[in-house]
Amino acid sequence: MRIEEYKDMIYACGRCNLCHGTDFDERCPELFTQYWESSTLRGRIAIARGILEGKLDYSEQMAERIFGCFMCGRCQEECKKAADISTVEITKAMRADFVDRGIKIPEAGSKMVDTVLESGNIFADSPAVHAKWAEDLEFKRDAKTLFYPGCLASHRFKEKTRILVETMQAAGYELNFLGDKQRCCGTPYWITGRVSAAKDTAKTFVNMLVEMGIDEVITPCPSCFRALDEEYPKLLGTEMPFRVRHTSEILRDIVEKKKLKFRVSIDKKVTYHDPCEIGRLREIYDPARKVLGALPGVELIEMKRNREEAFCCGGGGGVKIMYEDHSNKVAKERIGDFIETNADLLTTICPACEMNLTHGTYAANIEARVIDVAELVAVAAGIVDKEILETDYFPDD
Amino acid sequence: MVDVGEITTLLTDIVGPDRVTDRDFDLIPYSRDLSPAKQKLPSHVVMPETREEIQSILQIANDIDVPVYVRGGGTSHWDAFLPQVAGPSIMLDLGRMNKVLDINERDLVVTVQPNCTWAKLDHALRNRGLTYLCSEAGGPAMTVGGSVMKAGGGPHSTAKFGFHGNQDVITLEMVLPNGDIVETGSAAWPSAGKFERQCLGPDLAGMFIGAEGILGICTELTLRIRPAVDISERMTAILPKLDDVIEFGHFINRHVGDEFLQGIYLWVDPTAPDVFFLMMDIFGYEDKIIAHRKKLIVDKIKELGGEIGDRAPADDYYGRILTGLTDLFKAGVWHFFGSGSLRIDDIPFLYKVWKEEVIEKRGYTKAGFGGQVLPRRWLAFMVTNYKEPEEWNELVKMCDEIDEIVLNGPVVPYGIGGRDGLRQFVAARDTGYYRLLKTLKRTLDPKNILQRGIFIPEEEF
Ligand SMILES: Cc1cc2nc3c(=O)[nH]c(=O)nc-3n(C[C@H](O)[C@H](O)[C@H](O)COP(=O)(O)OP(=O)(O)OC[C@H]3O[C@@H](n4cnc5c(N)ncnc54)[C@H](O)[C@@H]3O)c2cc1C
Ligand code: SF4
Ligand code: SF4
Repeated sequence: MRIEEYKDMIYACGRCNLCHGTDFDERCPELFTQYWESSTLRGRIAIARGILEGKLDYSEQMAERIFGCFMCGRCQEECKKAADISTVEITKAMRADFVDRGIKIPEAGSKMVDTVLESGNIFADSPAVHAKWAEDLEFKRDAKTLFYPGCLASHRFKEKTRILVETMQAAGYELNFLGDKQRCCGTPYWITGRVSAAKDTAKTFVNMLVEMGIDEVITPCPSCFRALDEEYPKLLGTEMPFRVRHTSEILRDIVEKKKLKFRVSIDKKVTYHDPCEIGRLREIYDPARKVLGALPGVELIEMKRNREEAFCCGGGGGVKIMYEDHSNKVAKERIGDFIETNADLLTTICPACEMNLTHGTYAANIEARVIDVAELVAVAAGIVDKEILETDYFPDD
Repeated sequence: MVDVGEITTLLTDIVGPDRVTDRDFDLIPYSRDLSPAKQKLPSHVVMPETREEIQSILQIANDIDVPVYVRGGGTSHWDAFLPQVAGPSIMLDLGRMNKVLDINERDLVVTVQPNCTWAKLDHALRNRGLTYLCSEAGGPAMTVGGSVMKAGGGPHSTAKFGFHGNQDVITLEMVLPNGDIVETGSAAWPSAGKFERQCLGPDLAGMFIGAEGILGICTELTLRIRPAVDISERMTAILPKLDDVIEFGHFINRHVGDEFLQGIYLWVDPTAPDVFFLMMDIFGYEDKIIAHRKKLIVDKIKELGGEIGDRAPADDYYGRILTGLTDLFKAGVWHFFGSGSLRIDDIPFLYKVWKEEVIEKRGYTKAGFGGQVLPRRWLAFMVTNYKEPEEWNELVKMCDEIDEIVLNGPVVPYGIGGRDGLRQFVAARDTGYYRLLKTLKRTLDPKNILQRGIFIPEEEF
């Protein structure tokens, strides 16, 4: 069993319940949606220990507790004080145990994997459709920096992705692009326990980039970022021959090195949602805030749960696909935090958060746009018109 | 005997299907507490939302003779909520009864549901410039109900405020084991309000505080609150001898009564058993009062030959009482043993047991010694980090021996709990107090439904 690798961590839990938080549902989105102690870290550790000790076994009924975790890391942030247990790693191992043992996982999760295996992306797009967002853009085929948008930014947020690339290019970045060769980074595999498929993907992907002579990958997607930067080295047991950066760091560089001039005043009150995967899981909190702070006419108002304490958008851990109702409930709750700020715009810097929070606005029945930080940069730099920030604006995609 | 499926159906009729579980993976997370107490599983967990649901659950439990156990945040360490019996048992997870119901700024009282955490209450109160000042250091998940029902006390229950329940609990709402709902204090009078602890006959709140849930389930509490103090003045000091610590404790208690400090915490590390490290949190509503008290403390420490240290550890410690202390289980999971309440002058007894019996005789060098000086007494303990499963049984054996020695001395056990707690020590001393408690229990709970085996062993019932 893969959880055996985490035995020390599992036995290190002293059951202090710091991971649980001050209210029964204020920290852990899984607890918020499933109520039982078995849906949060202390409970999951008890389950894992029970399995290790042969007192309990994985079962199809258990799947919701294990696959309903958003892998947001909120609990592990608290556990840093106690036993430094990694929920994300243990949950991944438990999911992999399900697959290894042939126990049925949520059907939508299996289907997502089949789709990726067949089409190369989570939306079953043909390669041409998947790369359509980049139609009018010019990429440098020999550039050593690869712009890798990932599935969501390619399929769902074509305009946002275009604006991001235009902004980086205006700031002088020379970007390569995979075009029709682009494939999913493999995140759907490890969040559903399909470790061998994940390994194959990582190997193929890395070989392709090496062949292209890529020495840096830039991605707007925190999952892709962590895939290439964290998971691949673990899966392949070797360092990556390229550097991986998330766009939050690129935008910060643009601002700090004054690569763009900001002439247009935004004139909006703005709040910022920390994506779990770059926030808690990588401690990248400041770059987006630095960028927002540098844009004229932006008043940043923090949500009450921010930075390490930010509540998940509901999009993590594959829950969006596997338990959509749970995901929407969490998104709606997070939108509640946004509403409390009285800000005009909800910004973030993750395509999955953007999608889920947008769904949250529908669930909360409010009209609001969820804006990528890059879009604000583009508006301030005069690259796109300010109208994209308005509530009644409908992007082409 | 009813089977598991029938119990599930009966409970589902009360709370609906979403708030009852009998699935093994849902039950196992409720099978341990913070202590080395062995794993004990309930057959059902229910999440009630109202007192009426609790009432109905207790009525059914009586009908079918299935014991009911109550869990708040599940952060206690005395085997005090784990099912003590084989066969079916129902665990109530009160997690959803977690609201701050009313903050009465005029009367300076707050009413909460039992699973409102201290941290949540503190946040709500501080937004209005008020506070309760929770005494225990259990972190974000410990609940008001859990703390009060076990008469909790900790680093902030020192000179000024005493244990929870000393004076701070105004009224309680309790569901008795037979399902009756009672209120205590002024709340007992149907046309009055929640403002006074003792105003109608005996202090019945006191009967429930510290009973660890065996006499009733708390469904609402009204507590005394006070203006928050913005000023914080914390200190550390090292004293050369334990006798100096005792003198210092008396000095604090005598000087300005119970108002002087809101915490004195003594820590003696096993690596330096003759270094007496103190952390202090000075109380006062005004700068000049605090400055005056600080000066007196500094003078006294110096007079006793002590040294004032860096305040940072005290800031860190007291600042984390509600957010979570750090490095808790870095060296293994926790066990508190050899602990209890004792007179200020009697602390050398406990220290001697620690030094001679634990460190020197048994060669166990991982347990530290600590305590808080309270008005007229100490709450002192030994604490260790150990590894499960390899060190588990050995450690428990040693701790039982130490508890036996300690409780034969001038120490009153703090936290009784079940089979793996201290209940054997209470039962072994056939006191009038214990007999009265058993009489109360039998009267209120003739079928021994609530917390069966907690505090009173089943065979003693
Ligand atoms: C880091 C850390 C530090 C700690 N520091 C201290 C300390 O300084 N001092 C201290 O005393 N403890 C301390 N503890 C232990 C623990 O936090 C306290 O015992 C706390 O009061 C328990 O609260 P709880 O809500 O978790 O109660 P639980 O553990 O859930 O329950 C405690 C007892 O109350 C009963 N109970 C709970 N709710 C009800 C109810 N509504 N009605 C009737 N009975 C009920 C339970 O059956 C049980 O007997 C610490 C724990 C941790 C993890
Ligand atoms: S915070 Fe960590 S050690 Fe504490 S109960 Fe949660 S998982 Fe266990
Ligand atoms: S990672 Fe997030 S969703 Fe999963 S258990 Fe922890 S807090 Fe809950």
